[in-house]
Amino acid sequence: MAKVKDIIVDPLSDNNPITIQVLGICSALAVTVKMETAAVMCVALTVVLVASNTAISALRKVIPSRIRMIVEMCVIASLVILTDQILKAYMFDVSQQLSVFVGLIITNCIVMGRAEAFALQNPPKESFLDGLGNALGYSVILILVASFREILASGTWYGFNVTPANYLGNGLATLAPGAFIIVGLIIWVQRTFTRKFEID
Amino acid sequence: MQELINLAVTSIFIENIVLAYFLGMCSFLALSKKVETASGLGLAVVFVLAITCPLNHLISKFLLAPGALTWTKVPALAAMDLSFLNFICFIAVIASMVQLVEMILDRYFPPLYNALGIFLPLITVNCSILGGSLFMVERKYDLAESVVYGASSGFGFFLAIVGLAAIRKKLRYSNIPDGLKGLGITFILTGLMAIGFLCFAGISLGG
Amino acid sequence: MQKEDRDLIVFATIVCIVCSLVLSAAASLLRERQDENIEFDRRVNVLQAFGEAVKDEKGKKIVGMEDVNAMFAKHIEEVILDPESGDILAGLSSNDLTSQDKQNKSKLPLYLWKEGEQVTRYAFPISGKGLWGPIYGYLAFDQDLATVLGVTFYKHIETPGLGAECSSPWFQNNFKGLKLWADGALREFSVVKGLAEEGSTTDVDGISGATITGRGITSFVNEDLRLYNTYFNKVRGS
Repeated sequence: MAKVKDIIVDPLSDNNPITIQVLGICSALAVTVKMETAAVMCVALTVVLVASNTAISALRKVIPSRIRMIVEMCVIASLVILTDQILKAYMFDVSQQLSVFVGLIITNCIVMGRAEAFALQNPPKESFLDGLGNALGYSVILILVASFREILASGTWYGFNVTPANYLGNGLATLAPGAFIIVGLIIWVQRTFTRKFEID
Repeated sequence: MQELINLAVTSIFIENIVLAYFLGMCSFLALSKKVETASGLGLAVVFVLAITCPLNHLISKFLLAPGALTWTKVPALAAMDLSFLNFICFIAVIASMVQLVEMILDRYFPPLYNALGIFLPLITVNCSILGGSLFMVERKYDLAESVVYGASSGFGFFLAIVGLAAIRKKLRYSNIPDGLKGLGITFILTGLMAIGFLCFAGISLGG
Repeated sequence: MQKEDRDLIVFATIVCIVCSLVLSAAASLLRERQDENIEFDRRVNVLQAFGEAVKDEKGKKIVGMEDVNAMFAKHIEEVILDPESGDILAGLSSNDLTSQDKQNKSKLPLYLWKEGEQVTRYAFPISGKGLWGPIYGYLAFDQDLATVLGVTFYKHIETPGLGAECSSPWFQNNFKGLKLWADGALREFSVVKGLAEEGSTTDVDGISGATITGRGITSFVNEDLRLYNTYFNKVRGS
């Protein structure tokens, strides 16, 4: 049971996909301008990551190693297309907001990265949990960054006003540089606390 | 012609695929430690983008888009809309191109091939390559524009990654707090570079 | 052929077939619902441009499909125009337009709001390039074909907080009451940088930090006005 706990808890901080493993950065920056889009992205990624990890783990003994990557891509791409199609049918307004970013889940390094690093060597049950853990770790960072960016930029959180009326909003947080700097600072704080430093 | 030049300038500087659209970050951050590796990756990205963008445009136009199959003169096919297969087809094309690049590098430039290591096949999952094709479809570029857009986006990536590698090389002589070393300071640096590139937004493009 | 190679090909084929089947099944099963959603969305946007209360200030839809279809059946007639001659192309509706037609704007949809037999409002789609991609909207004219009743920008991929503000109520409300036709000619519309002149009937305030989006909107609104003007002149003349 302790091992199961580790699989889920590690990616939350010690082995966080974004800040430690350096995976999935692109979407962490692109969809975190507003909490709402970040939230939907987290859910979409969780679904795809968990499903892909489980599927690839179930197939791990039969996939020929020479076409390994292509098969993984195929599975991941199909899952993403499926998610996209379902969103368009049942959550149309949300899918409009996400547009290209749902497609970019295919190239989200976390999905491919965990498939290669974990799902190929572990049974489905553990892979399912690993997917869940990493998705949670990813979501934690996304929500953190999105909160900072939305509050700094427009004074709202998930659309609700949380700042005094005369807060003008810091435009830089909406733009690319703001995102980079906020993530950089989060990494600084996190690494100082967990004492996981990079030896250059 | 002016339009194409504008598109090129925009894609390299104003809408730089890494610094403005956040695409391609993973390899951008991981491979910018040495200038040689960075330039190798940058060139590979230029090549792959310049070829996959127009290729994907042709596939989208003649196979997948709504009404694309009218050239087969089979009415049932002409009414089909296969655009839901966009993602999968584009990725397949990209994967094949990257495989090709890998084989070329292995044969003719082995040191570079070794230096790039695992990250060469990871160009397949590099969001900037797929993102380039997806943007091309979203913005409805034609063939010429796809070529220019692909090549210049790739070149923008090349500029950004080589620039970052050069700065990080100098950074070795700086006293950085432990928590910021490596990834942290790289992010902040990228943010500063992005601010620099933001200034290009003021360029007045003729025509 | 070696057993290894054969297994590889068999496996690859199976994966391809399974994926294709699953995706095609999903796509076809969901196609009808998706099309319904797109049509519903389009109708809501047309109604919003006409000034009907179909969305709240956050942009969420507050009407159901039946109400929308009822309103459409009661009041709205859709025609397709030829931009060169300004004639109505009889017997066509937007479902007959191919994506080529829409992209080249070679056939123009127009929505007429009728009270009984009389046309009291006009709305037409406007679209063009913003900063990150195309922006789609509708513009509605009052009966005089000069006063703007309202505008809506419902689809785009602009930056939230910047260019995406074009969808927000404050930006769209500024369009109400603009006079884009006077003295026998179209007037030039513009999204200015900063604040528009007090009382201007051709300019609206810009969105700060979104100059390129503003320029894009200026450009395509004027262009679309010119396209529809041939038909509008005919109506004004009669």
